[in-house]
Amino acid sequence: MKKLKDKIEDLFDNVIINDFYQNRIFVKTNKESVVSLLNYLKELGYDHLALVSCVDHVEENEFELVYILSAYIHNEHENQEKTNIIIKTRISREKAKFTSIINLFENAEPYEREIFELFGVDFVGHPRLKPLFLEINYETPPFRKDFDTRKFVDDFFANIPIIEEIEDEK
Amino acid sequence: MRKLEMYFGPQHLGMVGNFSITLQVEGDRILEAEANPGYLHRGFEKLMEQRTWMQNFPLVCRINVVEPDHIELIYAMGVEKLAGIEVPERGKYIRSIYCELARVASHLFGLWAYANMLGFDTVANWAMYHRDLLLDLFEELTGARVYHIYIRPGGVRRDFPAGFEDKIVKTLHKIGSKVPDYNSTFFENKLFEKRAKGIGKISLQEAINMGAVGHAIKALGMKYDIRKIEPYAAYDQVDWNVPTRKDGDAFSRLLAIRDDMIESVHMIFKLIDKMPKKGDVYTKTPNPFKWRIPDGEAYVRCESSRGELGLYIVSDGGLNPYRVHFRTPSYSHGLTILEKALVGENIADVGNIMISFYVVAPEIDR
Repeated sequence: MKKLKDKIEDLFDNVIINDFYQNRIFVKTNKESVVSLLNYLKELGYDHLALVSCVDHVEENEFELVYILSAYIHNEHENQEKTNIIIKTRISREKAKFTSIINLFENAEPYEREIFELFGVDFVGHPRLKPLFLEINYETPPFRKDFDTRKFVDDFFANIPIIEEIEDEK
Repeated sequence: MRKLEMYFGPQHLGMVGNFSITLQVEGDRILEAEANPGYLHRGFEKLMEQRTWMQNFPLVCRINVVEPDHIELIYAMGVEKLAGIEVPERGKYIRSIYCELARVASHLFGLWAYANMLGFDTVANWAMYHRDLLLDLFEELTGARVYHIYIRPGGVRRDFPAGFEDKIVKTLHKIGSKVPDYNSTFFENKLFEKRAKGIGKISLQEAINMGAVGHAIKALGMKYDIRKIEPYAAYDQVDWNVPTRKDGDAFSRLLAIRDDMIESVHMIFKLIDKMPKKGDVYTKTPNPFKWRIPDGEAYVRCESSRGELGLYIVSDGGLNPYRVHFRTPSYSHGLTILEKALVGENIADVGNIMISFYVVAPEIDR
C-alpha cells in the first residue's frame, strides 16, 4: 500500500494522499488529473468502480466528486482487492461541469445520470444525460444543500386544489 | 419485420417490484432495452441529512425490502467507523448469525420469485413457507417480521433469548431436510435447465467492465466476496468457502445462489458452536439526541445477498450526517448489466433474466 502511494505521488503533481483508515487511500487531486489518474489506476489493476458520488460543500461554493475504486481478484498474492482508493476532486458550483468517464468504466453511466439530476452537474461526453428518477423539473436540483425541502413541500402541496366532497346519492 | 416498442412493467405479471423496462422488439427478439427506475424514489439520502444518527435506522432498512438487515449493518458500520466504536465479541457473532439468516431468507425469497416466474408453483410455495419460518425466528428475536431495526452502532439491540440458538438449529434442519426435494423438483429438473441454460449470458470481461458483484460474478468463477476479502463481524473466525460456477448464465447464477444458501447454513452452525456464551452485545453510545460525531469521511462495504454493498458517509461534526450515499448491488445489475444482457434474447425471458440478476427496485431508487 505504501508503494502505491509513492507511485501516485511520483507521477502526479497536486495530489494529497491520506490513509487514516486501514485499506483505504484517500487521494485529493485537481480536476485536470482525475481522468488520467483513473486511467492509470485501472491499468494497475484497480478495475472495479464501486461508486461515483457527489458532496455539496455549499459554504465553499464547490462540489466534491468522489470516485471509489477497488480491484477484482486477479492476483491472489498481491491482495490488491483489499484496498479501496477514494479519489476526490473539487469543481465549481456555478455551471458545474465535468468530464464523463464512461469509456473507462461502463457502470459510471447511471451514477453520472444520477448526479446530473440530483446535483445539476453536467457530464461532458455522456450519451444520454436525461433524468433518471424524478418526475418533475426542479428549479434547484433537490440534493443541493440550498434546496429547502420544507419550503418545497409547503409550496407544492399547498397549491394542489382540495377535492370537494361528493355528496352521497341516496 | 415490424419494429415495436413494448413496456415490461411496472404493471406486468412477470415484474417483481416497481420497475420498468422499455423494449424495442422485432418479432419476439429484443433489439434494445432501457431500464426506467424511479417508481420508488423516496430521496432517503436527502432525508437522512435532516435526521440524527440514530433516527436514520428506520429509514435505512427500507432501502431494501427483501433484506433490510444488511443495509442496517452497513449504516451501523459506517457510523462506528466515523465515531471509532468497537463491537464486543458476542455482538460480532450475533451480527454474523443474524446476517446469514437474513441471507438465507432473502435467497429463499429470490427462489420464490424465480420459480414463480418459470411456473414452478410448488417450489415457489415451499420457498415462501421456509422463508416464513425464518421470519418467525426474526419476530421472536426482534419483535418485527420484515423491518427488524436490530443492529445499532456498537453492536445489536438485545441478546438472544434463552434457548434461541437451539431454535435456529432446529429451523435450519427443518429447511435443510427439504434440500433433496428442491433439487429433484427444481435444480435438477430438465425444464429448469431448458429455460435457464445459456440465457442471459455475460462474459467475464463484460462483467468486470460493468461492475458485476455477488452471484453474478461468482457464476463466472471469480471468488469475489467481501466477507473473505475484508472480513467484518465474525466471518474471519470460522472456516467457509465461496461457492462458484463457470458459465455465467441464468442457470449457473441460480446454482450459485443455492450453493451460497447451503454454505450460509453450515456457517451458522459453526458460528453458533464457536460463539462466546456470555458477554456484552453492544457498546454504550451517547444520548442519541446529543450525539455529535467528529468530522471525517469513510467508505465501508459488506456482502449482502446480492453482492457488494457499500456506504460512503461524510460527517461535519454535527448531529446529522452531512452526506450519505449507498452503493447498492442492484444499481449496476439493474441499470447497466440488464440493458446489455437483454439484447438478442426472447421476450419470454425478460423476467427470467431480470430475476436471475436479483434486481430489487427499491435498492436502485433509494
